Amino acid sequence: MKTNLLTYTICTLLIGLFLVPNTMAQEINLRDYRIRFRFKTVKQADQTRMLEASFIAANKKDRKDRLPVYGAEISFANVLEGEEVALGTAKTSKEGIAHIILPKDQSYLTDKEGKFTLKAVFAGTDEMKRQEREINTKDVQLSVELAEKDSIRTVQINAHTLDSLGVEIPLEEADVIVSVQGMLSRMVMDEGTIEDGRYEFEMPTDLPGDVDGNITVYASIEDHDDYGDVIQKETAQWGVPNASNKEGTNSLWSEVAPIWMYVVLTILLVGIWANFAYTITNLFKIRKEGQELETEPAN
Amino acid sequence: MNIALRKKELVKEFSPLLLKPSKWAKIWIGILVGLILWGLIAFVIQVVKGHEVTGMRDNVVWGIYIINFIFFVCLSYSGAFISGVLHFFKTPWKNSVSRIVEIITVVSLIIGPIFILLCIGRLDRLHYLFLYPRIQSPITWDIIAIITDLIGCFIYLYLTFIPDFAILRDNSEGLPKWRKKLYTFLAIGYRDTSTQRKRLHKITRIMSAMIIALAIVAYTVLAWIFSLTLQPGWNSTIFAPYFIVAGLYSGIGVIIIAMYLIRKYFKLEHYIRKVHFIGAGVILLIISLLFGYFTFSEYFSRWFSHKIHDANLLDTLFNRYFWEFVFANYIGVLVPIVILFFKKFRTIKSITFAAIVAVLGLWLNRYLIVVPTLETPYIPIQDTRPEFVHYSATWIEWALSFAGVAAFVLFFMLLMRLVPIIPMSGIIDYEREGKVRPSELTQQQQQQ
Repeated sequence: MKTNLLTYTICTLLIGLFLVPNTMAQEINLRDYRIRFRFKTVKQADQTRMLEASFIAANKKDRKDRLPVYGAEISFANVLEGEEVALGTAKTSKEGIAHIILPKDQSYLTDKEGKFTLKAVFAGTDEMKRQEREINTKDVQLSVELAEKDSIRTVQINAHTLDSLGVEIPLEEADVIVSVQGMLSRMVMDEGTIEDGRYEFEMPTDLPGDVDGNITVYASIEDHDDYGDVIQKETAQWGVPNASNKEGTNSLWSEVAPIWMYVVLTILLVGIWANFAYTITNLFKIRKEGQELETEPAN
Repeated sequence: MNIALRKKELVKEFSPLLLKPSKWAKIWIGILVGLILWGLIAFVIQVVKGHEVTGMRDNVVWGIYIINFIFFVCLSYSGAFISGVLHFFKTPWKNSVSRIVEIITVVSLIIGPIFILLCIGRLDRLHYLFLYPRIQSPITWDIIAIITDLIGCFIYLYLTFIPDFAILRDNSEGLPKWRKKLYTFLAIGYRDTSTQRKRLHKITRIMSAMIIALAIVAYTVLAWIFSLTLQPGWNSTIFAPYFIVAGLYSGIGVIIIAMYLIRKYFKLEHYIRKVHFIGAGVILLIISLLFGYFTFSEYFSRWFSHKIHDANLLDTLFNRYFWEFVFANYIGVLVPIVILFFKKFRTIKSITFAAIVAVLGLWLNRYLIVVPTLETPYIPIQDTRPEFVHYSATWIEWALSFAGVAAFVLFFMLLMRLVPIIPMSGIIDYEREGKVRPSELTQQQQQQ
């Protein structure tokens, strides 16, 4: 038994040891990582502008090993020829992302062409170097119009910039994506190019909408060299009303159970209790035979 | 073979088990009665002061009472299932284990439901369950299933006892008068005639099939109490078969432990042999593989789908209950597999050790099904005092739990004093059919 006990103890300990993943501390050497500091700007549907910096340390050897830099303070600014206007600061989240939202009436230092430069800066620490990225962009006015033309549901996208005098200059060429808001993400309907500030798309009529038949159509310019990311959206009753959003009725919440439940339960119980009754009847027969044997005169 | 003489021999051989208990048995009974009394005191305190003396609160409304309930009831269902299979398929070595299994079935089915009564805050409203049952409610199904199963198991156990009661009635020299009267009453005039024997075999076989079906239905309904709710960790389609496998796992574990103790303390090495342990061990191995597979499937699908509440539950399991989780689902499964997989480890002691690890692991597994789920509710309650959110059993609950285990062992010992733990009628049937081998003869037969 002693040998057995020893074997079991060793087995148990070994299994226990294998199953404790956090028994050894993991040291991180920053030299094995490449810092990826990215910066982008998104002009949102409500005309506000989001500045977003992402700060990730990626392992040079293991591409799956990506560590978001948490809690790093990022300063955002608008710069023009040595002049700098601070726009705000934000700390990176657990995902390594820091962002601020600028109001729609935010004024920027712009050059002659109406372009402005935005900057994101991480000041650096003893362990990590300073990081800095700049974006040179131009403000775009993107609008989405949902109109029926000759009974055809048409998404009309207009895009223009404004010069220093406030004159609208249509966008000459920019790729645009038309999408519809789904439950979890946006479903792309069309991809095309805005020419002379306009783009049109014929919308299908069989898209499922919400309970009232509303669908939200998005137009977006993504990662453009001059304009960055620009999004605009519009909602219309162009979808098929979604009847499945109606509250379901559960027959088990009623006061009386469904008939089938009574039927199944009765069949089951009758089946079982009939067997019990049959068994007990047979027990009485055994007893009767025993009593008869007792009363029989012995030969 | 002179059957009357053989019956006399068997009664003589097993009478030490039925007559006055030894000094050690008396001490054991004393300890068990002491534990039960301790439980009764705890029960009185709980009734007088209410559930505030337990660890159960608004969030964690179920604690170790429900875990003991599931454990004992599953033990009973698995006993019924195994016993039914042994009888229905006329397993050759059923004589050595069938009575142990039958007694486990009935005793655990008496003890188990007592624990559910302890969970009820307003026992004075218990009769409403019967007066105004909601047929839609799984609780109602469970009550119907447990009552039907209890009656079925009693009838079945009684059927298997009748021939032995008759043997004891006819060979009751030296037994007290009340026992003779009791055996005469319980034997219901059974004289082992061919018609009586045939009739009894027929109804026993029908009842054995019936209790297999009943056990499956009752297991399923018990699992549905959990799985038909939307709680994370409970709402699972595989819960019913998972409960069946888990119940069989604990059932076989307890049977092996009982076999070991009975063999050792009643010196029944001749009847409960190594081959029986190896047979039970192999079944335990198969069930442990199945149980491990179900457990992995259950947690893996939750981890993979990563729904927010499932993820919270897994987070609780892997942090707050880390060691319990490791013991229940890794050690409790892998250690029995390792021991039982290799032939050279399959000794009586090692198989018993594997069974103990399996039973303890399974009890913890039930704990991890009930408590962590209730500790991670969909909507946090307003009062978030730690003792309201987290569950920790009080001495009252432990006292009543140990009292339950003590009552189980005590009833088992008392039933063993009523009829021999090895069915004498089974031995006679076996010998009558000419299946006995010289090595299987009893010591007295060998001497003759």
